[in-house]
Amino acid sequence: MLNSTQLKSIQTRIKWLPFIAFFRREIHRFSKVFIQTIFIPVINSSMYLIIFGVSLGSRLDLEGFSYLEFIIPGLVMMSCLSNAFQNSASSILSLKFAGDIVDVRVSPLTIQQTLWALAFGGVCRGILVGGVVLVVGELFHFYYLDRWLIPHSIGGLFAFSVLAGLVFSKMGVVIALWAKTFDHIGAVGGLVITPLTYLGGVFFSLEMLSPFWQKASLFNPILYFINGVRWSLIGMSDVTVVVSLIVSGLALVVCHVGGVLMIKNSQYYRRW
Amino acid sequence: MDVLKVSNLVKNYGSFCAVNGVSLKVQKGEILGLLGPNGAGKTSLIHSIVTVEDFQKGSIEVCGYNLKKEIRLCKSMIGYMPQEIINHSYFNVEEVLYYHSGYYGCFNNKDYIEHLMKKFALWEHRKKRIIQLSGGMRRRLLLAKSLVHNPELLLLDEPTSGVDVSLRDDIWEFVRRLRDEGKAILFTTHYLEEAEKLCDRVAIIHKGELVRHNKTISLIQEFTLRKLGVQLKTKVNVVHKYLKLNTENYLEFHIPFSLDIGRLLEEAGLSLSQIQDIQIQEGSLEDVFKDVLDGE
Repeated sequence: MLNSTQLKSIQTRIKWLPFIAFFRREIHRFSKVFIQTIFIPVINSSMYLIIFGVSLGSRLDLEGFSYLEFIIPGLVMMSCLSNAFQNSASSILSLKFAGDIVDVRVSPLTIQQTLWALAFGGVCRGILVGGVVLVVGELFHFYYLDRWLIPHSIGGLFAFSVLAGLVFSKMGVVIALWAKTFDHIGAVGGLVITPLTYLGGVFFSLEMLSPFWQKASLFNPILYFINGVRWSLIGMSDVTVVVSLIVSGLALVVCHVGGVLMIKNSQYYRRW
Repeated sequence: MDVLKVSNLVKNYGSFCAVNGVSLKVQKGEILGLLGPNGAGKTSLIHSIVTVEDFQKGSIEVCGYNLKKEIRLCKSMIGYMPQEIINHSYFNVEEVLYYHSGYYGCFNNKDYIEHLMKKFALWEHRKKRIIQLSGGMRRRLLLAKSLVHNPELLLLDEPTSGVDVSLRDDIWEFVRRLRDEGKAILFTTHYLEEAEKLCDRVAIIHKGELVRHNKTISLIQEFTLRKLGVQLKTKVNVVHKYLKLNTENYLEFHIPFSLDIGRLLEEAGLSLSQIQDIQIQEGSLEDVFKDVLDGE
């Protein structure tokens, strides 16, 4: 048996420090491969800005906003959530593939700490890439429209970015734990996440769609994240900001419960 | 003091019972060897202790704390070296040890990590990624990782599997030293000679059940027979219940450890003047193990 001093020392030590260590590992992990995790997503988003925002966008006008102005928030959010998703998914996949998932399982990290550390890691990468895309968008905005894009609500921008990052990181955890091969994760990314993101209003307003597709789009949760950020940046949204917040919150709860259940289930939370 | 106490542990996979009512203890400063053929339930037992797998019945205590009730506390006192090699895709040796230590809440132990790297001959390779290390180096890293938070209980799942003789000797030496420092060590291996040399006590598990459990020397004495070879100067007719081989000038007796050799020779009617040479071959853990398998 441990004496009371030893017991207290261990209990203090294992309270939060394992979470901090795992979170730091996540940040360190994606920063080690920054070309793949940060540089390439930023280049891709810049290409969208050049092709859609500048080349084609000069022919479009949306409720008094230029098309470049319209797609910057969508691209910021698309970069944020896809990077958040990829970060936690690739982290779990590498843990399962390389075998160090065992280290995490046998350590004093709790299920909640594991999930939140992965989620915050994803949020950091999502916000970092989204932030750089925003900076690139600002440069384009200044160059082509001769003025900076002043955010409508910085608090809203931060809140929606964090919420979207958390939701997609946790979704990444769920899907990567469920995946039995690299193919599975590619299929979910390519067949579900990417189409929903494109159909979530990155490049168009709901008003441009037929009534049927307008209604169908309301079932796409990504629409609410994108419109939340669009409202935060340019003050325009297809749905009210309160509804966007409620849907984002609900999506977070669903993904969190899913993540906890998957980590709890040793059938999924194990080495390949 | 019991650092590990497993009581009536039952672990099922569906309808298959992998561990059936196993009870064992490991004390401070002791090495317990857990032996058994493939599929006997050793790894299931170890996985239950390190919480990789859940168990259905029984209890596990680490330093007197119930594993299910005080799971984080118990985990923080266990060091685990898995059987499989881990690759760690992104990090180098130093970073792997640093983060692993952090998972146990140990951050200010750079000196100790440095000490471990030097002790396990990893210092020169500390900036290398794991994929660049040889198999032996990776085993050393696994062992260093299991020690990085200075645990009370060490679970080593086949630590010498697939390593060369020199590294195996090193690992034995490390394990002995850790025992002398007061660590409780549960050690699984398929090398019976290794278990015999290293373990203070041995538990043999077969088909999920604990079939032998005692001090290594006691098990050998209790469950094996000594081979006594007697080379005679001339052929003598001998009849004895322990006589197993009788050729031209050679007799071989298989005798229990408790039997006095002088008495045996007397019972067989042999005097020293008739004997040219005597050879004694003690029983081994391998004999105990074979005895268990033969008893199926």
